[in-house]
Amino acid sequence: MNTKFPLLLLSFLFVFAACEKDKPTPVVDQRAYSVSTSGNIITVRNLPGDTIVGTTAQGQPIGAGRYSFFSLETGQWIPNADSNSARWDLAFAGTILRVNNATSGPGGGGAFVYNGTFESLTSVPTDSTFRVDNHPISYAITRGSGKAWYTYDGPTNLLTPIPGRTLVIRTANGQRAKVEILNYYRGGTTPSASSADSIKTRDQRFFHFRYSKM
Amino acid sequence: MRHFLFLFVLVFSTVASSAQLDSLRSMDEVVITATRQERRLGNVAVPVTLIQRQQIQQAGSLRLRDILQEQSGLFITSGFGVGVQMQGLNPEHTLILVDGQPLIGRTSGILDLNRIAVAGIKRIEIVKGPSSSLYGSEAMAGVINLITENPGTRSLEASLRYGVGNPDQGWALPFASTSFQQLDLNLQAGYQLGKWKLRQSNDLLFSDGISFRPFSTDRVPRPIRRLTHQTTLQRALGSKAEFRLLFRANQDRIQQEFSVRNNGQVIDSYGREQNHELNLQPTLTIRPTEHIRLHTRGYFTRYVGDQQLNFIQKPDSSYLDRFEQDLYRIEQQLDWTRGASDLIVGLGYQSDQARSTRYDALSSRKQNRVAYAFAQWEWRLNAQWISIAGMRYDDNQQFAAAFTPKWAIRFKPNDQWSFNASVGQGFKAPDFRQLYLNFTNNAAGGYSVYGTQDAIRIIRELNRIGQIAELKPEFDRLTELSPEFSTGMNLGAEYRPSQTVHIRINGFRNDIRSLIDVRQVATRIDGSQIFSYLNVKRAFTQGVETEFRWQLKTSWQLSGGYQWLRTGDKDEWARIKKGLEYTRSSDGTSRVMNKNEYVGLPNRSKHQAQFKLTYQPSETRFVFLRGFYRSRWTVANSNGNGVHDVQDESANGFVQINLSGGLPLRKNLQLQAGIENLLNHQDISYLPNFPGRNLYLTLNFKL
Repeated sequence: MNTKFPLLLLSFLFVFAACEKDKPTPVVDQRAYSVSTSGNIITVRNLPGDTIVGTTAQGQPIGAGRYSFFSLETGQWIPNADSNSARWDLAFAGTILRVNNATSGPGGGGAFVYNGTFESLTSVPTDSTFRVDNHPISYAITRGSGKAWYTYDGPTNLLTPIPGRTLVIRTANGQRAKVEILNYYRGGTTPSASSADSIKTRDQRFFHFRYSKM
Repeated sequence: MRHFLFLFVLVFSTVASSAQLDSLRSMDEVVITATRQERRLGNVAVPVTLIQRQQIQQAGSLRLRDILQEQSGLFITSGFGVGVQMQGLNPEHTLILVDGQPLIGRTSGILDLNRIAVAGIKRIEIVKGPSSSLYGSEAMAGVINLITENPGTRSLEASLRYGVGNPDQGWALPFASTSFQQLDLNLQAGYQLGKWKLRQSNDLLFSDGISFRPFSTDRVPRPIRRLTHQTTLQRALGSKAEFRLLFRANQDRIQQEFSVRNNGQVIDSYGREQNHELNLQPTLTIRPTEHIRLHTRGYFTRYVGDQQLNFIQKPDSSYLDRFEQDLYRIEQQLDWTRGASDLIVGLGYQSDQARSTRYDALSSRKQNRVAYAFAQWEWRLNAQWISIAGMRYDDNQQFAAAFTPKWAIRFKPNDQWSFNASVGQGFKAPDFRQLYLNFTNNAAGGYSVYGTQDAIRIIRELNRIGQIAELKPEFDRLTELSPEFSTGMNLGAEYRPSQTVHIRINGFRNDIRSLIDVRQVATRIDGSQIFSYLNVKRAFTQGVETEFRWQLKTSWQLSGGYQWLRTGDKDEWARIKKGLEYTRSSDGTSRVMNKNEYVGLPNRSKHQAQFKLTYQPSETRFVFLRGFYRSRWTVANSNGNGVHDVQDESANGFVQINLSGGLPLRKNLQLQAGIENLLNHQDISYLPNFPGRNLYLTLNFKL
């Protein structure tokens, strides 16, 4: 129940933000979900992706196993009821990112990781192949520290997106988009290495990313 | 402790009555490490720092770490004990010797400097730049050689030191339960028994250690006891030969209590650590003629380290670690002087053995044998030029052989100026860990790290029974593990405008290839990774070191130094130059990293400076003020790009000031007092082994 209330609140905020899109300088709550557009680049902040709800018997923090589905085509956070549709393109749950295809959804999605900046990628390289998910064994966007989009450091318990890694996404409907994960923590700032583990646990799994269609 | 005090008084009274005063202070600046022969410091063609007994004593240093941290161009590192970084190279690349023979018992390549007592050490010689042409493996950055006191003079010295500190409060009350206390007892005696000359040094240190570990915030005092004994025996055999025997024994007992955090979990642990170390060094020197010297050296050393840790959160699992290492060595060296040339040739053979719980089984003994030969030709062309050419060949049972040449020249056009240039090779043979480590971390995903020998065997076996999902191309390269090599260059100038001023400058560059690093070589079918060691990295270090010494008046002396250092991983640097490394702008978006944002290898400070000011109106009356500074250094990659840059987590630069002074109380009694870390600089995260401000009082008795 205590997980539903923030979700409800967040969806209100989402509607609120969407309505006010045209205002020149909207006052944005840095810790709330928001979507903003600048030119052809859309920036999403504080999208929760299976945030922490408790701990395992071994003391590892865990989420409720609840994905957040996002449509890169419409710029909308898609309700979980529509998970089995082609309405979403990218789903977030902790370090797992899924694309709408194969074991993950009915769409024609796919993805691969491009080594290079978001700006430098202007068109999909001709020699590239889009991969699909094979849940839970492998994913189009490989899970694991240093493999695709993030590194994780055990002693500091911090996850950092790797700079210069751009996700190239084929949407559920076959469009192309590029995505850069900016941050993994609520508010968009990674906690300091010395901050308490309770803060690192509470604020993790809040996705900040920017994307544009190609 | 009561027993020891009793012994102390007993030995004190017996020797005191028979000893005769002979306190000749030898300040002859002789160095042996640079050429394996006694040379005047002024005739050596490589950068050398000498630390004399007097400086060690006046600085109040007890352990090797205490005195090395005050030296120009050296950094003290934390992790697996305290190590020393020289010319920007890691602690595993500096060879540490006692009377020319290497100390063993390194953990992860680091020889804990706190293990080494400096009592009974006459001087410390630090030779910078690759010295493998004389000393073989590990002498890549340089060599630190502890020269023990020679027997020969009847003497007695005893000292008692009490120190107290409280890192949390800055100032501490003596004997208070919250204080970190330290008690050191030292006794040194020299005497003669017939034809035998004997010298003994005993040191007993009780200290409340701060057993920090990285990511621990624990500050409970835990007792540490360190006991060091050193005996030197010397005897002339006729008029042309001499026998010398050095025996050193060291025992540490350290209680531990600390917390470690990983993956957001805290594990509190307590336990104890014990180290035992033995050194035995017989040397026979024969001088058949005035021009020839023959040295026959034997060396036996043994190190045993035991660690037991219990985890409070997991009471049923405890960590037991044992590491035993034995090194036997026999060496023959011939020195031959002929006209303007000095020739040295040497042959040696060593057997290095280890067994450990860190390897596949404690019962299985690992062995590596090395046969080596070295030669050096020192040629004094005329009054101005000296050329020293040397080389060494190490034939290793386990790896490719290493050939390490070196050439140095010295040009001294007049009494004021002299110039040095040297170029040499250094190497470090892979150690037992890199061959035989057998470690599986079941807590963190079940990954394994195997030394190359075990990795080949284990992975082949796992593959045969179908347990390997993927063999990386790196697996095929495991058979090729070879030594790490470096080429080092040093270019220096010295200027002595007068008897009282001495200025020295030295530029260095080290190019290191085939550095060993851990890489994934295979994946098990359950997805867990298997890592091993490969020669994969290339790095460089370069810098400029300057030093000056100024005798202001007869009783005042000022000296100081500064080092500028630049390091880098060559592959990273190449990628940065090509624009293939990335970082983030302030808005969080990625961009290509600029060249000037690269900081190079971690844990290196770009700037380091130190000064020493001495006021010494008489032999026992002095004030000694020292300060050293190191600038910010990067500790971890925190922005995810895999290279160390200006955005990464770094430790703040700091200044440490140490002050000591002495005054005579009576004829044979001196009082020394000191404050270490006067400014109370502390950094729990990045300098875990750095104590806070510490005050001490020492009573020295000297006959």
